[in-house]
Amino acid sequence: MIEVEGSLKARLAVWLVVTVSALGVLLLVEAYFSSQRAAERAYDSQLEAAALTIAEAIQWEKGQPVVEIPSAALQILATRHQERVFYAVLDADGHTVSGNLDLGISPDWRRRVSSQPTWLNDSYHGTQWRLYGRELDSAGWETQDPVQIWVGHTMSGRDALTETLFEHAVTRFVIMVLLAGILMLLAMRVALAPMRRLRHQLRQRDADDMRPLEARVPEEMREMAETLDSLFTRQREGREALLRFTADASHQLKTPLAGLQTTSELALKSDSPDAWRQALTEVHGSAGRTSRLANQLLSLARLRHAVEASATSRIDAVALLHETAFDWAQRDASQAHDIGLAPLPASPQYIQGEVWALQELLGNLIDNALRYTPAGSVITLGAVNHAQTLELYIEDDGPGVSPEMLAHLHHPFERGGRQDTEGSGLGLAIVDSIVRRHEARMQVESAEKGGLRVRLLFPCLTRHEEG
Amino acid sequence: MSIRCVALVWLLGALTPSLAWADNPLIVEAALDREVAAPLLDAFEEAYPRIQLTFRDHSTLEVDARVADADDPPDVVISSAMPWQMSRVNEGYAQRLDSTAAREWPEWAKWRDEVFGFTFEPIVMAYRLDLSRHMMPPKTHADMHTLLTQHRETLRDKVATYSPSRSGVGYSLFQQDARYTTRFWDLVAAMGAADTNLEANTRAMLEGLSEGRYWLGYNLLGSYAMVWAQSHPEVIVQVPQDYSLVMMRMAFIHRDAPHPAAARAFLDFLLGREGQRVIAGETPLFSVRSDVEGPYTAQRLRDQVGERLYPIPLNASLLAFVDPSRRTAFMERWQREFHRLSHPAPDQSAAATESPIRPDALAAVRRPGYGVVLPTNDSPDDME
Repeated sequence: MIEVEGSLKARLAVWLVVTVSALGVLLLVEAYFSSQRAAERAYDSQLEAAALTIAEAIQWEKGQPVVEIPSAALQILATRHQERVFYAVLDADGHTVSGNLDLGISPDWRRRVSSQPTWLNDSYHGTQWRLYGRELDSAGWETQDPVQIWVGHTMSGRDALTETLFEHAVTRFVIMVLLAGILMLLAMRVALAPMRRLRHQLRQRDADDMRPLEARVPEEMREMAETLDSLFTRQREGREALLRFTADASHQLKTPLAGLQTTSELALKSDSPDAWRQALTEVHGSAGRTSRLANQLLSLARLRHAVEASATSRIDAVALLHETAFDWAQRDASQAHDIGLAPLPASPQYIQGEVWALQELLGNLIDNALRYTPAGSVITLGAVNHAQTLELYIEDDGPGVSPEMLAHLHHPFERGGRQDTEGSGLGLAIVDSIVRRHEARMQVESAEKGGLRVRLLFPCLTRHEEG
Repeated sequence: MSIRCVALVWLLGALTPSLAWADNPLIVEAALDREVAAPLLDAFEEAYPRIQLTFRDHSTLEVDARVADADDPPDVVISSAMPWQMSRVNEGYAQRLDSTAAREWPEWAKWRDEVFGFTFEPIVMAYRLDLSRHMMPPKTHADMHTLLTQHRETLRDKVATYSPSRSGVGYSLFQQDARYTTRFWDLVAAMGAADTNLEANTRAMLEGLSEGRYWLGYNLLGSYAMVWAQSHPEVIVQVPQDYSLVMMRMAFIHRDAPHPAAARAFLDFLLGREGQRVIAGETPLFSVRSDVEGPYTAQRLRDQVGERLYPIPLNASLLAFVDPSRRTAFMERWQREFHRLSHPAPDQSAAATESPIRPDALAAVRRPGYGVVLPTNDSPDDME
C-alpha cells in the first residue's frame, strides 16, 4: 500500500522557509543593531570634531574663559541632515560661558565628563538628542581651571543612516534568500534526476522482465537500486525454480502415467483374466506410487507456498525422534533394514516447531535412507545437544553420495545420481523446506562408515523461553 | 430633553457651518514693511478669500519676542534677522512644511524644511550725486576704503551705515563681511575715522541721502534702496562689484500655530509660483524661484551683477552670530576698530558715533537663560 505523504519539494521548501526565517530573524536583528552602531559611530565622530573645533577657540582673558564659537563647529554639528544643534561651554563651576539651548547638563554628567569624554542620549522637549561632552585643560595666566565643552544634535541623520543601512541589509538578505530558493529548486531537480531516470526505466520494463537493472545512480541511491536488483534476482530465481519444478513435476507424472497407459493397453488386448489381474495389480501399484508422488508434490508446494507462520508449539525433539524411529521400524517397508537409535540425551530437548512438519521431515529422511540403501543397511538416528543448538541426525552405512552431488541433493527431483530406486527425488527437497521453516540448518555429508549422514541443527529454546 | 434645549442644539447645528466659513483666521507676525508687502498680501487674500489674514508688522526684535510668547503664538513668523530666525528654529519653534512647493524649494534657501528664505535682497552701497562731483564713486569695498582714507575730511559725517548694536540685520551683515576678509576691519576703522553715522535702518540712511545729510551709504538693503532711487533721482544705487551680500527674509510656521492649515496655505503661497510672481513683479523683494518672470528676480539680478552675489548662507553657521560671547567679542572689536583711527578722545560732536556697550546690554548677554540675545535698544529696529 503506497501512501503519498507530501512531496519532497514541499518538504524541502518548508525546511528552507523555517530555517531561513529563524536565521533571518536573527540576522536582521543583528543587522539592525549593527546599522545603529555604524550610524552612531559615524555621527559621534562628528560631535567629537565639533567639540574639538570649539575647544580650539577657547582662550583665557582676564581670568575668564572666552570662546568665539566657530561657525564651522555649528555646521559640523548640524551635519548634512540639518540637525538642530546644541553647544555649551561651561567653566569649572558649571556656569555657562557660552551656549545656545538649556538642555540642563546635570552635575552628574559633568563629573563623568571630567574623568573622560562621554557620549549620552537625552530627551529635550520631546526630541531625542545625542550629546557629547569633553573636558579641556587650558591654562591662562591667572587661572588654570578646566573648561567643559558640550555639543549635541538631534538624531534624524542617525535614524536615516540606520534605516538606509538596515534597508540595504534587508535587501541583500532577501536577494540571498530568493537566490538560495532558486538554487535549491534547481539543485532539487538535478538531485532528483537519477530517481526520475530510474522510475522511467522501471515503468518502461515489461512485466516479466526480471533482468538486473542497468542504471547509473548516485551513491545515496545505490542501496535502493541494489535492493531492487536483488528483488528482481529473487523473483527471477523463484520464477525459474517454479518453471523448473513444474517441468520436473510434469515429467515425473508423465512416466508413471505412460506406464499405466501401456499396462492397461496390453491388458485390454489380452483376453486372459490372469493377464487382467496382473495388469490391475500393476496399475494399482503404479497408481499408489503416482498418488504418493502427487502427495509429495502437493506437500512440497504447500511447504514452499505457506508463508504465513502456522501454529507452532514447544516440542520435545528427543521424544519425537524416539516415536518416529519406532513407528518406522515397525513398518513393512523397513523390515529389510536395521533402524536403530544412538544413545539419546537423558533430558527432554525442546525446540519450537510444527509436529506434523517435523514428523514429515523425519519420515522423509528415513524413507530416503530405506530407498537409497541396499537391504541390510544400518540406519541410525540420534540427537546431540550442543550448547545453543540441538542436532538431530540420521546416518546409514549405504553407498553414500559423491561429494560433488552433496550440494545439490536438496533440489527437487534430485536423486543423487541414482536412477535405480523408486524414489521421486522430492524427499530431501521437502526436508529442506521444512528445515527452512524452522530456521534450522541442514548439513548433508558423508558418514564415517561411508554412508550418508544428514544433520539437522535446530535452535534450542533457552531456559528462559522454556519457562 | 426640553424644547428649549432641542431648539438650542438645532440653532448651533445651523450656525456651525457659517461660523466655520467666517472663522478662518491667520496671524502673520512679520518684520516686513506692510507697504512693501501689500501686493503680496492682496494677492494672497484674493487667492484665499476664506482666510482672514491678520498681518502684524513689527521690528525684528518684537517679532522675535513674539515667537517665544506661549500665550498667543502667531501662525507664521517672517523676519529678516536671519540668525535670530535660525536660532528660533533651532530651539524647535518651527514645524515642518511638507508640500510640493517646500520640497522643490532650492536647498540653499531652506533649512530642515522648516524655515524658508523666500526673498533675495542684495546688500548695496548708495551714494548721492554730489559725491561724484568730488570723487570717483566707489564700486567695490576696496574703493570704499580708499575713498574713506583719501577723502576723510571731505566725507567726515557724510557716510552712513547700519549700527551693529541697534540693528540685527546690520549686525548680521557686518559679521558676514568680517568672515570674508580681515580687511573689513580696516574699512571699519576708516569709517570710524570719518565719523560715520550709524543708523538703525535703511530708510533712515536713504532719507539722509535724499536730504543731503549723507553722501554715501554702506550696506543698505538693496530692495528698498532700488525702489527709493526710482523716485529719488539724486540717489544712485551701486551693487558692489567685488562681492555683494544677499539677505533672505526667512519665514516659518510656528510650532504652536493656532491655525496650522491656514499657515501652510500662506507659506505655500509665498513659496509657490503665484506668490513669487507677485514678489518679482510688484515688490522689490526679489523672488528666489527661477521659473518666474518680473523685474525683481534673483535670476535677473544675477544677470545684471554677475556671479558676485553671496547670499548669507542659510545654515547652522548663522547660529554663531547670535552666540552671546561671540557677539560680545565682535562688538568689542567693532568698538576698538571704529575708534582706532579717530581722535584719541571721542568727538562729542559726532552724535551718531557708536556708544560703547552699555552695562545692561552686557548683562543681557551674560544672562543665564541661553535665550537669543537681541540688540538691546529702545528705538525701532529696522524699517522692515
